[in-house]
Amino acid sequence: MTRDRAQALARRGSLLSAVALLALAGVYVRALMFTPIERFQGPAQKIFYVHAPAAWSALLAFSVTGLLSALYLWLRDRRLDLVASSSAEVGLAFSCIMLTTGPMWAKPIWGTWWTWDARLTSTLFIFLLFVGYQVLRGAMTDPEVRARYCAVIGILGLVLVPFIHMTVYLFRTLHPDPVVMKPGAPSLPGDMLTTLLTSFGVFTLLYLGFLAQRYALAVLRDLKDEETSRAVS
Amino acid sequence: MPPAEPLLAAHDVARRFGHRRVLNGVSLTLGAGETVLLVGPNGAGKTTLLRVLAGLLRASAGRVERRGRVGLVAHYSMLYDALTARENLRFFARLHGVEGRRRGDELLEQMGLAAFGDERVGAFSRGMTQRLAIARALLHDPDILLLDEPLTGLDDPSCAKVLQVLGELRARGRALLIASHQLAELLGVVTSIGFLVKGSLAAVEPVAGRRADAITARYREITARG
Amino acid sequence: MAELLRAAMAIAGKDLAIEWRTKTAFVSSMTFAVLVLAVLFFARDPTAVGAVEVAPGALWVTFTFAAMIGLNRAFLLERENRAMDGILLSQVPPVAVFFGKLAANLVFVGTVELVSLPLFILFYDVPIGRGLPALALITVMATVAFVAVGTLLSSMVVRTRFAELMLPLLLLPFLVPPVVGAVQVTARILAERPLSEVQGWLKLLAAFDIVFVTLSTLLFEATLEE
Repeated sequence: MTRDRAQALARRGSLLSAVALLALAGVYVRALMFTPIERFQGPAQKIFYVHAPAAWSALLAFSVTGLLSALYLWLRDRRLDLVASSSAEVGLAFSCIMLTTGPMWAKPIWGTWWTWDARLTSTLFIFLLFVGYQVLRGAMTDPEVRARYCAVIGILGLVLVPFIHMTVYLFRTLHPDPVVMKPGAPSLPGDMLTTLLTSFGVFTLLYLGFLAQRYALAVLRDLKDEETSRAVS
Repeated sequence: MPPAEPLLAAHDVARRFGHRRVLNGVSLTLGAGETVLLVGPNGAGKTTLLRVLAGLLRASAGRVERRGRVGLVAHYSMLYDALTARENLRFFARLHGVEGRRRGDELLEQMGLAAFGDERVGAFSRGMTQRLAIARALLHDPDILLLDEPLTGLDDPSCAKVLQVLGELRARGRALLIASHQLAELLGVVTSIGFLVKGSLAAVEPVAGRRADAITARYREITARG
Repeated sequence: MAELLRAAMAIAGKDLAIEWRTKTAFVSSMTFAVLVLAVLFFARDPTAVGAVEVAPGALWVTFTFAAMIGLNRAFLLERENRAMDGILLSQVPPVAVFFGKLAANLVFVGTVELVSLPLFILFYDVPIGRGLPALALITVMATVAFVAVGTLLSSMVVRTRFAELMLPLLLLPFLVPPVVGAVQVTARILAERPLSEVQGWLKLLAAFDIVFVTLSTLLFEATLEE
């Protein structure tokens, strides 16, 4: 990709992110003003409209990283590595959001800051795997070896997550929590479902916008490195 | 009689590390009985070229054809300090699928290390380690032997031994490629000289009876051109 | 296939021979195991929590952490004189290298576990008795799981500057399914309950083993230089 195209992509990405953020503001407004208050959980439940989609974005980012990592090992196209690592960084941000909104939601509703339910725990580990990915990336200098090693972690991590989910699920069925967990599945009534689905859509757009920006940045950095190498030799 | 196929041929081999080009379109051939001395400034890419020819590194572009077994002697020994000389040879022989006991002892004898067979490599001197490294490279009786600075840091007896072995290999029709600064010592075994500058093979010329000073002058001429 | 196994056994044998000679990793792991067992025994209110209650967790934390100390050993010893290049030059398939390293690591970790277990029984005063075969089974299943992934990861982290820190950082998420499962099953065994109660965990562990041993084997080649 040339410098101009990368900058164009960065601009488009920023635009998409800006639109998504505006839409997010819209979702907030809708969630706070126009969506009914949930009967059992009260106003605190509304954090859910941010928490669940953030988790979804983190999982999406993680899957993209894992799948592109596998593709990279097969095709060895450097661009695949750049997208995979950009997705990992963006995913790290989303999993931070998810991990901070989770406790904010849990405390007023269940009286505890953290619960080891399957989804929360899986996302915690997605976060930790993302961190590991970044640390490994930072510790390597040779770009080709770095790409390969990160790809290995990406693939391993993606395969691990279902196992963690299963582990916590098994753990829970043997040791059920005193409070019954209702993760707010599609059995939500009309308005709430709409708000939730809109939020999912907005977060997906947000992910794509951030990804585009981050990838463009990675490409620009890469181009700069190339120029520097050429200048030196 | 038509010339025999070369044992080793590199066609336009290039190698990058990230954005840095270390080798640019290197082509060379090596036939039986030929010994090429590869000279070049530090950072010219000699070690990288040898690793690509040995198959340890993949070429970023171009290809390498090998018609025979390859052995490599690098400037790291590729031996286990905690094991004895015999144990090292036996281990690598097993990997090659070669009968370790007899072949190992043979090579220890050939390299003048028979007396030290049961000593740990960690206790060896530089000269002894290098001789053992050569023994290891010869375990599977390679047709092509690549050597990276084989004489560096060697004492006189070891140096003489290595040169003797190289001469014997050449006489037996093996192909040798030696990267080294030590022109004077190696001139006796070498048939051609390759000048590697900034990742490109600037020239490959037969020795043609020239003496070390003439070749050094030629080297300076080529590297000045850049 | 036979060649592959031969090469893998040669590599495993060589690793174990070297470890036997130096014993540094083994001694470190064992010392660590004893320390962890002791600390975890004291890290509770003895009037409120019986030793038997913390025993399964203590055992598995000990096993895994002691194992992590020894896992980097396998690839660090190849970096010394770049002996791994010597192995790769012999055209041994990467799968054989992985199996060899895995086998050596399993023997190493298995030995640490075998020596720690009597200490565990002694310190925590737990009734193992008839549960021993079941305990052996679960130990094998869980150990294979984390040693396979640990072997793959260590081949990568030894190239970084902070190998000792990076391995736990990357490996710990992968310990969760096998260790949680192992602790649950161990608790059942110590409580002398039938294994049929923990079928779910055994199935999870078996699936984890199959998936991750296969995946690690396939991905290993990507971690070797090329």
